[in-house]
This record gives sequence, C-alpha cells and structure tokens, in this order.
Amino acid sequence: MEEHITDFESAIGELETIVKTLEGGDLSLEQSLALYERGVQLSRFCHTRLEDAERRIELLNDRGERTPAPDALTQALDDGDNA
Amino acid sequence: MNEPPRLPFGAASPPRAPSRQVVTVSALTTQIRTVLESTYDEVWVEGELSNTRLWKTGHLYFSLRDDQAQLKAVMFRSAVRYLRFKPEDGLKVIARGRVTVYEPKGEYQIVCEHLQPHGQGALQVAFDQLKRQLESDGLFAADRKRPLPLLPRQIGVVTSLDGAAIRDILTVLTRRHPTAHVLIHPVRVQGEGAAAQVARGISLLSRTPGVDVIIAGRGGGSLEDLWAFNEESVARAIADATVPVISAVGHETDVTLSDMVADVRAPTPSAAAEIVVAGREELVNRIDQLSRAMRGSVIDRLGRRRTRLLELTRRPGMAAWPARLAGRGRHTAELTHALTNAGRAIPSSLERRLHAVRSRLDACEPGRRLEASRTRVVTAHERLRAATAQRRQALASRVGDVAGRLDALSPLGVLSRGYSLCWNDDRTAILRDADQVSLGDGVAVKLRRGELTCRVIGKK
Repeated sequence: MEEHITDFESAIGELETIVKTLEGGDLSLEQSLALYERGVQLSRFCHTRLEDAERRIELLNDRGERTPAPDALTQALDDGDNA
Repeated sequence: MNEPPRLPFGAASPPRAPSRQVVTVSALTTQIRTVLESTYDEVWVEGELSNTRLWKTGHLYFSLRDDQAQLKAVMFRSAVRYLRFKPEDGLKVIARGRVTVYEPKGEYQIVCEHLQPHGQGALQVAFDQLKRQLESDGLFAADRKRPLPLLPRQIGVVTSLDGAAIRDILTVLTRRHPTAHVLIHPVRVQGEGAAAQVARGISLLSRTPGVDVIIAGRGGGSLEDLWAFNEESVARAIADATVPVISAVGHETDVTLSDMVADVRAPTPSAAAEIVVAGREELVNRIDQLSRAMRGSVIDRLGRRRTRLLELTRRPGMAAWPARLAGRGRHTAELTHALTNAGRAIPSSLERRLHAVRSRLDACEPGRRLEASRTRVVTAHERLRAATAQRRQALASRVGDVAGRLDALSPLGVLSRGYSLCWNDDRTAILRDADQVSLGDGVAVKLRRGELTCRVIGKK
C-alpha cells in the first residue's frame, strides 16, 4: 500500500477508484481499512499539491525574459487582501 | 451636378470644312483629360464594386457600377493601405476621388483616394468580412475548442499594464487562488500596432514552458478601441496557440472575433480570471467530496460490523453462555463430589456384597453354581482391588499436590532464589546472629546446589 504517488491526475483517479470500491465492493474490514488509509494518503497528497506553492506574478518581455511584476501591480493586491 | 463645361471646340456643331482644325489623338486625349481633371477633381460616387482585383503592386483595380452605367476605378497602394475592410465585388461603396483619363487606353477612370462601405461603417464591414473568412477556415468550430486545464501551472496574461483589466484579473486570481503563478506579457491594446503586439504576445506565451492557459483581453470600449481584437493576426494567433486561450474583451455586449476563435469567451477580464480558478476550486471540492465519501463508507462499514457483532452476542445461543458456564461449574462440582462419595462408597458396598455372597455360598450346596459363584467372587475381588487402587491413587495425587504446595513454602525453595542457609559447625543451629559464632569457627553454608564449609574471619 505504500505505493509512490506520482502525479495529481493519477492520485485523483486512484482516489475515485478507492471510493467506488469502498462504496460498492464486498470487502473485508481489513481490506476496507487498508483502502481507507491509502485514500487518506492520496487526498493529503492532492491537498498538498493544491496548496504547496507561493503566489507569483511576473512579466514576460519580448525576448522571453521574466521579471517580477512592478510593485505598483502587486501592492494594490496586497492592499486588497487586507481590505 | 456641375454645369457641363464648355469644350474648347464645337463638338456639338457640325464640322465645317474650311475652318477645320485637326489635332492628334494624344493632343485631344490630353485636352479631354485636362477638362475632366479640372472639372472632376474631387467627386463622391456611389456604386457597387465589380471586377475588383488587387494587383501584386499593391494597387487596386475595380469598377463602380449601378443599373445603367459603370465607371472604371483604380486605387493606388498608398491609399489601399488605409482601407479598414477588404474591397470585394458586390459591396456597395462610396468612393472619393478624381476623374482622369488613362491615355494609353483612352479610358477615363476615377482614381480613388478613399472608399467606404455604403450604409454601414467600414469597421463593421471589415468585421463581417473577416468573420466570414475565419468561419470558412473553420476557426469557430466547436470541436476546435480545447478544455481548460483544471490546475494550470502558470497563467499567461496578454493585456496592458495600464488598464483596469490587469488589476481585475489579478484581484480575482489572488483572492480565489492563493498559489497562482501569473505571467503577464504587457502590450498596447489599442491604437497603432496593438494587434501585432497582442498576436505576438499570445504566441510567445503559448510557447513559454509552464504556461497552460492564456487570458488575452482588455476592458470595454468603442468598436474602434476593441479593434485589435477583431484583427486577423490576433484571431489567427489565438487559433494557433498551443494552449487554450480565454478571450476577455470589454463588457458583455462586445463580441469580438477573438472571442469567437478563443477556446473560451469570458465577458470581462474578471470573469476570465474566475473561469481559470474555477477548475482549481472544482478540484478542491472533488477531493473533499471523495474524502468524505471514503470516510463515510468506512465508518458505515465499521458501524454495520459493530451492529452485527452486538446482534450476535445478544442472540440466545450466545447470551446463555455465561449462565451455562456458571451452571456447568456448579454441575461439575456436584459431579465431583458425587464421584468422590461414590468412590468411597464402592469398597464398603462391595465388601458388603462380598460378605453376602460368601454367606450365600456357605449356605449353598456345593454344586454347579459353585464355579459361577467363584467367578463372581473373583470378579468382585478384582473390582474391589481396582476401586481401592484408584482411590489410593487419587489420595496419592492429593498428597503429591499438598507436597508440591509444601515445597513452595519450604526454605529450600528460597535457596533457589539465591538465598543461602548458614549452619554452625556442628549443625545444631541455623545462624541468625553474628554473635552465634566466634572468629575462627567453622560454618556450613547451604546453597541451592551443594554446600560450602567456611571459616569466620571477620564479624561486623
């Protein structure tokens, strides 16, 4: 059950399969608890993926170079956040 | 319109031989041209385009006609450049220009400085024309629309940094998507060169690794203001983008060609941002829903098991067990007691029966029955002995039991735990006090296994 979780899409897919199995399948208690554990692991992974990043706002110039967005743009947002 | 010009020669009058004046074709043509050009140096003509041809040189040749007449026309490249729509046959136009003569062919024609569609704005015509073109190229087809990524890694934005659009987009993205990664390519969204910049920005972002979706747009404005998003270059750039493009131009009522080509049309820039984050929110909800369903199902499963277990333990067969066990205990005790008594009773009763038999034997005459009686006596003896032996054995085992318990209490048992016994030399007493021996006395120390003979060499 300690299979590695590679990507978001497959994690969600596996989670759905687990739920379907849990809801429909004629499982032993041990099996269903094992599935549940795996499911919790998967949903944690998904949540981490969703939250695990920082907001970033950048500009891309004609040469394809990135620079951070001017303060004037992000400042307004932060103010908005506090409001 | 104008009063017909007076010609320098009497065209209307019949030729007169003596005074006839002969001119060359060129001279005459030049004169005609001069007259026409000076008379019609700026005219507005209304008509329908026909035989329209754009030459490689960039000049446009066509005819203007109505029901009864037609007028050859040319528009030079310098003027064609400023046309907002594509001149095509059948289009009703108003042309402004001057009438002139093309001398090599002897044709008069109008040189157009300006063309505008008749009855509707040039932009509208241009819009309709390009729309038809893009449509016939299949760019609006529903099956070209790509689904938006649920979880875009980076969100590309093509718009101006000055307008409200970028702030609206960023505000929504930050509020609803705390981990958004936004990559903005700033462009002019109106005026000279805007379309080229927007088109370029879209294709640049589309080729930028990590960008999974692009928002291209601007705030609302007049048809003129939004024009860049009706240009072919922008429409084509959207169609050619390798990632889905959301067009977000103006307010709800303005539909641009970009909107029609885009994978998703958002009525406003804010709406575009909402559409982008909706996927993520959908995912969050889906995961939560799945987690809940999973937990619910497991809890439900456990609950059912527990209920079943409870039911089973309450079933009569199960519930009676404790009582039955207790009953058995009592029963066993009674049986044991009875057995013991029986055991004790057997020898005496046998003996009584033996006596009885003997006395009956004695009383009997020796005869046929003697042998049988003897057998019975012997059997009875055997049984008596067996019963006695059994009883003896039971007693012996009880004794063994008691001995075992005694053993546990025995001081010898203590030795096995590491204690030792110390006797005086002549083994008359176990030493409990150092004063019981003197220095130099011998003592015997009994260990669990074996014994030591020791001498006292010190006391404390």
